[in-house]
Amino acid sequence: MYGKKRERVFLLMILPAFVGFFILFIVPTLMSFFYSMTNWSVYNANLRFVGLDNYRQLFTDTKTIASITNTVKYAVLITVFQNIIAILLAVFLSKKMKGANFTKSLVFLPAVLSILVTGFLFQYIMSSADYGLFNRIIQFFGGQPVNWLGDANIALYSVLITQVWQWSGWSMVIYIANLKSIDSALYEAADIDGAGSIRKFFTVTLPLLYPAVSFNILMSLIGGMKVFDVIFAMTKGGPGYATETIMTTMIREGFNSGRNAYASALAVIFFIVVFVLSRIVIIFLNRWERKIS
Amino acid sequence: MMKKRLTNGFYRLGFILISVVVGLPLYYLVVTTFKTPEEAALSPLGLPSSLNFTNYQRALEAMNYGNALKNNLIITVSAVILLVVFASMAAYVISRSQSKLFKTMYNIFLVGLIIPFQIAIVPLYQIISGLNLMNTHLGVILVSVFCINLPLSIFLLRGFISTVPVELEEAAFLDGCGTFKTFWLIIFPLLKPIISTVVILNALAIWNDFLTPLLFLQSPDKAVLLQEVYKNVGPFSTNWTSFFPMLVLSVLPLVVFYIIMQKRVIEGVVAGSVKG
Repeated sequence: MYGKKRERVFLLMILPAFVGFFILFIVPTLMSFFYSMTNWSVYNANLRFVGLDNYRQLFTDTKTIASITNTVKYAVLITVFQNIIAILLAVFLSKKMKGANFTKSLVFLPAVLSILVTGFLFQYIMSSADYGLFNRIIQFFGGQPVNWLGDANIALYSVLITQVWQWSGWSMVIYIANLKSIDSALYEAADIDGAGSIRKFFTVTLPLLYPAVSFNILMSLIGGMKVFDVIFAMTKGGPGYATETIMTTMIREGFNSGRNAYASALAVIFFIVVFVLSRIVIIFLNRWERKIS
Repeated sequence: MMKKRLTNGFYRLGFILISVVVGLPLYYLVVTTFKTPEEAALSPLGLPSSLNFTNYQRALEAMNYGNALKNNLIITVSAVILLVVFASMAAYVISRSQSKLFKTMYNIFLVGLIIPFQIAIVPLYQIISGLNLMNTHLGVILVSVFCINLPLSIFLLRGFISTVPVELEEAAFLDGCGTFKTFWLIIFPLLKPIISTVVILNALAIWNDFLTPLLFLQSPDKAVLLQEVYKNVGPFSTNWTSFFPMLVLSVLPLVVFYIIMQKRVIEGVVAGSVKG
C-alpha cells in the first residue's frame, strides 16, 4: 500500500545516524587496521607500508605483553567475582523484609559514581601512608598493614576490588528482575520433593537465571577488557607495569609517545582478544543453555 | 516460630553487613570533607566536630565549579537529545522497511555493539582535528553520540518498535499523514518507556565519561567536572581533606538524580539488559 515515496523518506530518516556512525566509527576503525601496517608516528613525515613490523615489535615488548595478559586476567576475574557476588546479593536481598529495599538502593549507588572518582577515593583509602583507611582498620584489629597499590603482586587485585565494589549492584538489579520472573510454583514443587535451599538454588534458581547470567557475564567481560579510568586514577599502570592494561598502553603509545602505528596495531590486537574471548564465553553459555533446556 | 525469628535475625544482620561494606567508603568520603587534616588523621571514621564548609568553598573555586557543571550539562543534554532523535528515527526505519539497504545498515550498526569503540580512537583523533572540531564541545558531543553510544540505542529502540502494532500508522497513512509526520506524531509518543531507558543509560554513560573529554578538550574553560578533579589531584595530593570535597561535588548531580529517580534508573538498567 505504501509507494516509493515512503522509502525515500525512510532514507532521509536513517541517513543522519548512518552517516555519523560511518564517519566517526567505521572509518576510524578501518583506519586502525590500515595504520597498524604502516610506520605512522609523529616522527615520520612519510607514511610507508611496513607489513607486520608493528605486530612483531609488539610481541617482543614485554611491557605490552604484560598489558595484554593483565587485561585478560582482570577481565576474567572481574567477571567471576562481580557475578558471583551479584547473584548472592540478588538472592539474599529478594527476601521480602524491612530493610531489603534500602540495602538494594545503597548497593546500586556506587554505579552512578564516575569510575575516576571511585579510583581517586580508593587511592586514598588503600594508601600505605598513615592516613590509609584500610590499613588503619587492619591495624586496629591487630593485623599487618598491606601495601595495596605499591606491591606489584597485589596492585591489580586491589584495583579489581574497587570495581567489584562499584559494579556488583548494577548486575544485581538485573539478576533481581530475572528472579522476579521465576514462577513460585517451581519452588513449591521442589519443596514437595524435599529439596533443601542449596539444592533449590542449583536446580531451580540458577538455570532459570540463564538470561541474566549470559547478559551480565558478557557485559562484565567486555567492560573489564576496556578498563582504563580506574587504572589511570589509582596506579597509572604501576608499580613497574603490574597494572598496565591494553587501554592504558594504547593511550600512552598513541597520544603521549606519538607512536600511532604501534598503538593502532595494539588496537587491532585488542579487537582480536575481545572477539576471541567473548566467542569462547558464548560457546560455553550456549552449551549450558542446551543442557538446561 | 523460633526458627522464623532466627532467620529474620540472620537476614537483618546480613542487610546491615552489606550496607556497611558498601556504605563505609562513601561515609568516609563525606565525613572527611568537613574535617581539618589533623582531625581526619586523628579520627578518620568519627563524625566531624562541626559542619565546616570551608573545604567546599575552596573546592568550588579550585574546580571552577559553575563553569565545569555547565560544560557537563551542555555535553550530556545535547548528546542525549541527538541520540534519541537520530536513533529513534533509524530504529523506526529498520523495523518498518523490508528494504535490503536498511537491513544492511542495521547490520553495520550492530558491528558497533561488538567492536569496542576504543579501537578507533587514535585515527578518530585525526578525523576530529580534520573536521576542525578539536577542543570544541561539538566534537565531544558527536563522538559520544556516533562513535560510542548510537548502536546500543538503536538496538534497544528497534526491539521496542517491533512490538508496536502497525495498524495505527496504516490508519494515519490512509488519512493522508506523511511518513515523517506519522513517526513523530503517532509512533514517537508511544516509545516513552524505552526512550526513558535510552535517556538514563546514555546520560549516566556520557556524564561519567572521562576519556572522551580528556582526548578532545584541552582548554581549561571547556573542561568538564572530571577534568577539573583530575587537574587538582596533583596539587592537592597531600591535602586530601581539601580534595575530597571535589570528589563529592563532581558526583553530586548524578547522586541527587539517582535518589530522586531511583525507580526509573533501575528500571532503565534492567530494560537495557534485555537481549534481542
